[in-house]
Amino acid sequence: MAEITQSPGALPARRGVSRLTLFAYLLVAPVVLLIVGLVAYPFLFAIWISFTDQVVGNVGKWIGLANFIYLSKNSTFVSSIWNTITMVLVSDGLKLCIGLGLALLVHQHLPGRGLFRSFLMLPWAMPAFVAFLTWRVLYQPIGGGINLILTATGIHSGVIDWLGQRSTAMPAVIFATVWRGFPFWFVSFLAALQAVPKELYEAARVDGATAWQQFWTVTIPGIRQVIIVTTLLSSIWTANGFENVWLLTQGGPSDATMVFPVLAYFGMQTQRLGEAAAVSVYTLPVLIVLVLIATTLMLRDED
Amino acid sequence: MTAEAITARSASRDISRASRRVLTGRILSYVALVLAVLLVLFPIYWMVATSLKVPKEIFRQPSLIPIAPTLNNYVTLLFEKDFLVAVKNSLIVATTVTVISVLISSFAAYSMVRFRYRFRGLIGRLILFAYLTPTSLLFIPLSIVMAQLRLGNSLFGLILVYLTFSLPLSTWLLQGYFRSVPRELEEQGMVDGLTRFGALLRIVLPLSAPGLAAVAIFTFTGAWNELLLALVLITSDSQRTAPLALNYLITSDVLPWGPLMAGAVLSSVPLMILYFVAQRFMVAGMTAGSVKG
Repeated sequence: MAEITQSPGALPARRGVSRLTLFAYLLVAPVVLLIVGLVAYPFLFAIWISFTDQVVGNVGKWIGLANFIYLSKNSTFVSSIWNTITMVLVSDGLKLCIGLGLALLVHQHLPGRGLFRSFLMLPWAMPAFVAFLTWRVLYQPIGGGINLILTATGIHSGVIDWLGQRSTAMPAVIFATVWRGFPFWFVSFLAALQAVPKELYEAARVDGATAWQQFWTVTIPGIRQVIIVTTLLSSIWTANGFENVWLLTQGGPSDATMVFPVLAYFGMQTQRLGEAAAVSVYTLPVLIVLVLIATTLMLRDED
Repeated sequence: MTAEAITARSASRDISRASRRVLTGRILSYVALVLAVLLVLFPIYWMVATSLKVPKEIFRQPSLIPIAPTLNNYVTLLFEKDFLVAVKNSLIVATTVTVISVLISSFAAYSMVRFRYRFRGLIGRLILFAYLTPTSLLFIPLSIVMAQLRLGNSLFGLILVYLTFSLPLSTWLLQGYFRSVPRELEEQGMVDGLTRFGALLRIVLPLSAPGLAAVAIFTFTGAWNELLLALVLITSDSQRTAPLALNYLITSDVLPWGPLMAGAVLSSVPLMILYFVAQRFMVAGMTAGSVKG
């Protein structure tokens, strides 16, 4: 039986409570049905496929853990996992530092802060595919802006093939990923900083706290929740990012920047669906833990 | 000199020292911010500049600014590479996805905010899980399902799979907006003879207009930007979306940088202007629901 929320200001329960329940279910039904059909079912289907030897045009049969055992011995898969971990730790670590640093700077009452905020948000407004295609051009040995700037300023005179050599490809992909991703952190932190009560800073100042002490005892605890949720969400998205690596390097040179979403896509192109699905399903335990923590925190803010 | 005068003078010296420290702090802040803004703007500048360059300025004598600016790259892109068809496809897909998801998500969000029923908590969790389920996990099963439904290689199929990310996002964000609409207004409307559904359409939705607009923009850009599912589902040239067309430009052409950047400009500048203008409530919407970057 449904009842209307009994919080202050709730509408009085009218006659025909069951009709109201029906109405509530009818309103929510389209979204629930579509999510069950288009997300929940494919999600379970992906897990099922990963335990079969399905190829395009053949449903395949149950082969247990064979795909997973095969992958764990496959050097491309192993390096894709290490690259994904590196990508998440380094780029999200940088996004955290840069996003928080810039948010603290803009949070001061400087003249022109609104303009800075608008400009710093621009990479977020740029579609990811546009951002990474632009970085691909920037990194080119011929026609690329980075080499040109380095030569023009006299920092480095030779031409560097940023995306074409093992030593620079991963840092280059990470740099572009941070460029595209930091505004999300910056804006989240800026909003969180504005919500920290000013009285806490005044109280700390009265107690003789230095700026550094205020940062650790007032600012950080005040935005802790936002830091944790942003870190979780961004890690999930970075780990599953496809466009950055696909458009910049397609995983190359050799496997230097291979990450598991790109590997799964390559697997699908070779039509071995069981193995391709297993690539993504392999990471599922970690994903589920991150998602459970994130959803619990996000729903706790709710009611 | 009296004791007070001494204290006063040392106090004023403290103040001037403090204000000097504030001044240095400000200068350093500006230096850091200007540096960050330059780093943000340079790639955007390079995108626009490259799109206006003749091949010679890109390849043989690379220059920082387009010396003889030309629209040739745009002409090549639009008339030789059929980019207009891709833009049209993208507009159809993104608009349809936006209309469908804003409409049915607003119903779902209203239901979950205003009523209490048995599976409400479960549905809330399902929606949030769906929001965080990455496309990298879903694209293989979705492509099989779409092939079985004979919806592969069609814009309709693309619209359907884009609902996988747009519905959870819209519902999650709209819940936040609806929570802020006071119940008393709905009550009043119903006293005045509106049905509950009428109250949703005539009172709650108009009052959440800024929220609906923000959600519409997020949904539209999400569909406009999507690459992986389009790559997997669309096989024929005539059904390509804008990101797909540019993706094939780098895999088929040799050094297509000029037309490629023209496509990048056309795909992004309208959105960047929109965000720049509407940023105040976009930021509010984003921080309410943590919108994917």
